[in-house]
Amino acid sequence: MPAQSHPLLRLSQITKTFGTIRAVWNLDLEVYPGDFLAIFGPNGAGKTTLLRIIASLTQPTSGTIEFTQKNSSQNRQQVGYVSHQSLLYNELTGFENLLFYARLYGIGNAQDRADEMLAKMGLEQAGDQLVREYSRGMKQRLTLARALLHEPQLLLLDEPYTGLDQHGSRLFTQVLEGLKEEGRTVLLITHNLGEGLALCTRAVIQHRGVLVFQAARQEFEKSEFEKLYFRAVEPGARSQEPGARIQNPEVRIQKSESRSWRSTVLMLVALSFEL
Amino acid sequence: MNHITLIWIIAEKDLRIEYRSRQQAFLTTLFFALLILVIFIFAFDPGSRATRDASPGILWVALLFPGVIQLNRSFQTEIEEGTLCGMILSPVDRGVLFLGKLVANWIFLVIIDLLILLAFVIFFNFAFSSQLLWIVLLIVLASVGITGVGTLFAAMVSSIHTREVLLPILLFPILVPIILAALSGTQEILIREQMQSLNRSIQLLVGFDVIFLAAGFLLFEYVVGD
Repeated sequence: MPAQSHPLLRLSQITKTFGTIRAVWNLDLEVYPGDFLAIFGPNGAGKTTLLRIIASLTQPTSGTIEFTQKNSSQNRQQVGYVSHQSLLYNELTGFENLLFYARLYGIGNAQDRADEMLAKMGLEQAGDQLVREYSRGMKQRLTLARALLHEPQLLLLDEPYTGLDQHGSRLFTQVLEGLKEEGRTVLLITHNLGEGLALCTRAVIQHRGVLVFQAARQEFEKSEFEKLYFRAVEPGARSQEPGARIQNPEVRIQKSESRSWRSTVLMLVALSFEL
Repeated sequence: MNHITLIWIIAEKDLRIEYRSRQQAFLTTLFFALLILVIFIFAFDPGSRATRDASPGILWVALLFPGVIQLNRSFQTEIEEGTLCGMILSPVDRGVLFLGKLVANWIFLVIIDLLILLAFVIFFNFAFSSQLLWIVLLIVLASVGITGVGTLFAAMVSSIHTREVLLPILLFPILVPIILAALSGTQEILIREQMQSLNRSIQLLVGFDVIFLAAGFLLFEYVVGD
């Protein structure tokens, strides 16, 4: 951890609850420029919720997030996000998708930037093809191109290897290695310990909403980390961190389909108005 | 980039996607509207006094119900691949996103409504006169309010499984003032053939358009916010 530099992002005491369910619990994390941070954890550990909070897609129940810039729309400008979904329009071509997002981000020469990103991801030949005709691997590289269009300071990757075959995974890893060499700051969520550890400069284990382990990559061996990971996440494992205070052992992430309380209130207001 | 350009970029993207998807929603919506008109033709004796009296109602039933199909679809595609999330991640103001979706829905709805009006005039033996232009004006104005509140509600119910049922249940009662104003104006034009009280309908429609647009613009952030 480059302790001498100022953190790009600082999360302090972040908690996110969905009703009685605690997805993230009193979480502290600092991300420094150039960090390639891999976040490991079993399903339901709250990893995706954490990334959504950082991306300003959901608000934490309590705690603070400090970016280099304070304004939330400027925060959005600083973050590139790759989620489980592609966030791409199937009925547009790869080029049109990038052009659309480049314009939304107010990128000056949007067409040139879209072409440049297609070339960078090795998709220049497929730029005029509709995205629905893309393979999973091509789609994932285009998703990454979309997330990098506006040169974000922080790239959030949520299980980007999902659904990729070996060839696709290898290509994707090459792209991520390129990003690492460029010194980009990346937060990667993955279940793939091998890929994650090969890429990261720092590793974190999140379990039941709490960070139970955090260390620089050079401080541990892969085999040592694997043992530690399985010990930390095995059923009945007790956390060493403040999350040990969690009363409810069933910490689950809210399904993406669930509506926020604000939408529900708006709907109830509309219904009561009608009645 | 100014807000008007951004609104058009979002609207143009939606129209392009609809065109590429072989106008699925367009044809479905149009077919549904024509079916409604045909059912009414069979139910009423064409040319009778009763049919003439009921014709404004028939026209607005044919205009309103198919419109809900389009409104439902407008966010369905955004949810399927998470592209709404992609737009929300951008630094564009949420109100601008709302207006972009609204403009696409409005253009789409006006085109369909004009085709339905054409079919209505033919099926119900009305003359092609300059008075029909007043109905076009009513349709254009009513569509603004319908898509204004419809776009907001469609976003609200977009990730709910029962959205197809929920949207009309929420939408139609809110639209009552617009429907009444448009219906009253259409009656003036088609039945009484008087234009004196048409101004009142137009003023009401403009008023509700402004209210619904402002409400949608301000509330959209909370609908897609979390």
